[in-house]
Amino acid sequence: MKLKENTGYKVFLVVNTIIMILISVATLFPFVYLVAQSLSSEKEIIAGNVTLIPKGINLKTYIYVITEGEFIKYYKNTILYTVVGTTLSLAFSSMLAYPLSKKELKATKILTPFVIFTMYFGGGMIPNYILVVKLGLNNTMAAFILPMMISTYYVLLMKSFFASTPKDLEEAGELDGLNKFGVFMRIVLPLSKPIIATMTLFYAVMYWNNWFQAFLYLRKDKWPVAYYLQNIIRGAGANDADAQQVATNIRSCSMVLTALPIICVYPFIQKYYVQGMMLGGVKE
Amino acid sequence: MKSKIVSLSLVASMLLATAGCTTKETTVGSTTTAPDKIDTSATETEQPSLGYEFGLGKTFHADQPTTYSMFFSDANWYSMQPTWKTEGIFKKIEDITNVHLDLISFDSNDYMKNVTLNISAGESAYIIPKIYDESAFVDGGAIVPISDWVEYMPNYCEFYNTYDMAPDIRTITRSNGKYYRLPGMLEQCLLNYTFVIRQDIFKAAGVDVESMEATWTWEDLLEALKKVKAYMVSQGMCKETDYIWSDLWCGSESGQSSGGNLLKVMGITYDVNAGWAIADGIRYDQAKDEWYFSPTSDNYKEFLAMAARFVNEGILDPGTFNQDDDTATNQFYNGKTVIMSVNQSQYANYVKKCEEVLGAGNFELYATIPPRSKLYNYSTAGDVRLENGVMISQKALDELGKDGFIEMLRFVDWLFYSPEAYTLYKWGVEGETFKYAEDGSKVLLDGYCCSGLGINGKDGDIDIRKQWGYAGGNFWYGHTLAEMTDNYIPEVKHFVDSNFNNREKPAIAPGIAPNDDQNEQMTLIATPLIDEVNAWTLWFVTGQKDVEKDWDEYVKVCQEKRCQELVDLYNSIYKGAAKSS
Repeated sequence: MKLKENTGYKVFLVVNTIIMILISVATLFPFVYLVAQSLSSEKEIIAGNVTLIPKGINLKTYIYVITEGEFIKYYKNTILYTVVGTTLSLAFSSMLAYPLSKKELKATKILTPFVIFTMYFGGGMIPNYILVVKLGLNNTMAAFILPMMISTYYVLLMKSFFASTPKDLEEAGELDGLNKFGVFMRIVLPLSKPIIATMTLFYAVMYWNNWFQAFLYLRKDKWPVAYYLQNIIRGAGANDADAQQVATNIRSCSMVLTALPIICVYPFIQKYYVQGMMLGGVKE
Repeated sequence: MKSKIVSLSLVASMLLATAGCTTKETTVGSTTTAPDKIDTSATETEQPSLGYEFGLGKTFHADQPTTYSMFFSDANWYSMQPTWKTEGIFKKIEDITNVHLDLISFDSNDYMKNVTLNISAGESAYIIPKIYDESAFVDGGAIVPISDWVEYMPNYCEFYNTYDMAPDIRTITRSNGKYYRLPGMLEQCLLNYTFVIRQDIFKAAGVDVESMEATWTWEDLLEALKKVKAYMVSQGMCKETDYIWSDLWCGSESGQSSGGNLLKVMGITYDVNAGWAIADGIRYDQAKDEWYFSPTSDNYKEFLAMAARFVNEGILDPGTFNQDDDTATNQFYNGKTVIMSVNQSQYANYVKKCEEVLGAGNFELYATIPPRSKLYNYSTAGDVRLENGVMISQKALDELGKDGFIEMLRFVDWLFYSPEAYTLYKWGVEGETFKYAEDGSKVLLDGYCCSGLGINGKDGDIDIRKQWGYAGGNFWYGHTLAEMTDNYIPEVKHFVDSNFNNREKPAIAPGIAPNDDQNEQMTLIATPLIDEVNAWTLWFVTGQKDVEKDWDEYVKVCQEKRCQELVDLYNSIYKGAAKSS
């Protein structure tokens, strides 16, 4: 039945639309501004002529950033960390979440509190740092990935999802000769594509944006692009006599290039973001 | 029984703790401090079996290849390149001394955080340069009290004794009479931060800054800027509502919510702590021989009233205090503003940028010296002749043993305090990157430039800082007047000399040496207090509060935030030390 659109409802729609448009403009403005700056000449930026429309349009900054600057080196590091990290995170998180989802296993009752405990209590920054250093992982890719490889919150989301997998299917697989690992790999995981897709996105975004592990453990040649970007945005430290700022167009260009992959992926998988939060949260 | 044992243990612990506190308090003020001269006679006798050469006027050289670990602050605007190690600064140091520096580098933005983390985790390098404040490391025992060892450092002692550095060094001496940082030492404080103006527009408006600057006050500057603005409005260069001064190093990026450089410079001329120099607000009154809280003083009120006039009378953009630095510089480069803060290394950069935007020949810049106040003719170059410096980790002493540690100290002495090393890390190698001109001055060879030295070159010239790491910020602070000024371009030399000739150096405040507990107490009081002071200061300056009407309320807020308690603490520490000496 179609709701009767009375005057009040029409007014609400108009106001709502206007507000949404304003929010969209406010959200888009910084990014469009960045794109305009990255495509403009430095002279026009300094002269204050660039707002939303690029002036002195050129691709020199992009060519410089991609071919001559250090940006591309850090970009490659980020891609590597994201691919390796996301793969490992998915593998280990799902392998932890699956047994935890089995209520009939006695160990689950003991292990689950241990897993949840790590959500609320950590070792602290310095003990973690000492651990990583003593393990000989300092300044390696492992130092970037291992400390955050398993997110307890994501494991719990996966656990809830796995718990909703029909037991009959798993039993049918076992009757056909599959062992537990076979059931997990050939029945449970193929049925869990929504949660896997969501977790892939969550983990990938986490690795893509992460800079803190790099700050702690990585030297310059191994930085991810997020940390490099953070440093050029912060620019030279205050009070430093010989400080110089990185040119505005180079900063803008680096920001655009860093945000671009995630921005391109979002429209296609953004529905998983919403679903993902709900998927594991529904109880039978 | 068990509970009795626990109770007894607790009581015993408390008694021990109390005894510890008592000991601490009784030792305050009964300690020695940095000597007027360091006696090196006992340590300077050369021993042939040392396994290395060292000494005043000599190059340090180890007989066997040696490696020392060192933290390195890697500036992102000239980040370390592989060539620095293969053919640049670190290769040259190794060639000369036979010492390999095992560098652990951190980005300059996070340098102190990483240094702190590594020291806390027991992973410190032996040599820790670029340290402005060593307070956080003193109590943990991870840093060597270097004052116990400086007698082994001939170059350091020579400078200390020649230029009477004792009063300056006493400002970093702790309650136990020791200091923990080898500071960069300056023969004289030189003006670094000042103002650059659009001389062409000032002249056209009939304002001759060059003839005024020797004695000009902030009131004179305000009148001059009003005249310039009137001229600009009449010429259609700006509107009546526009501001012609929008300063940098004061806003969201580098101003640290305190008013940054501008209020620091202005505050010094009124003998108050403000802006970057606010610290805990405490200042020393030479006449009364006691400490006081400067942000509630009459001088501070006068300083605020003067600063507010620049905003109220339409000259200084109130956005100065919350904008990013690019916004400020861009307005100056494109001619919308006519005055802006500058420092020694940035002057040449401003000229270059203005040429890009305005075109060469279309503008004229002039770096003037900061005005004085009506009260004082103080130089804003600073009073204490110390710069950032080097800490040495306890780990070095533990791992190298006493003899090995002394050898390392003598290498550090050569690296940071010898004229030979200073020339190397500032200019490179004679004949490779620079040469001596006929008048004895140093000049870069053709084909080289150095942004760090403020020497612009032609397109295609190699920047010796970016390529090989010379003139980098980890090394070349301090030294003699001649060494510090040997790279100055005429414009910079002019304002440094002008300041030196026309302003007076403020007297150095005596050092006070709080113990750990007092230090903690001071921090606890000062942190919220200074946050409040900074907020009110910016409200007054930008016109959100009225200096005359709201001053009493502001003072009351400071009192509620325990400013008097802080003053009392300072004076009790100071008087205690004074009594015992």
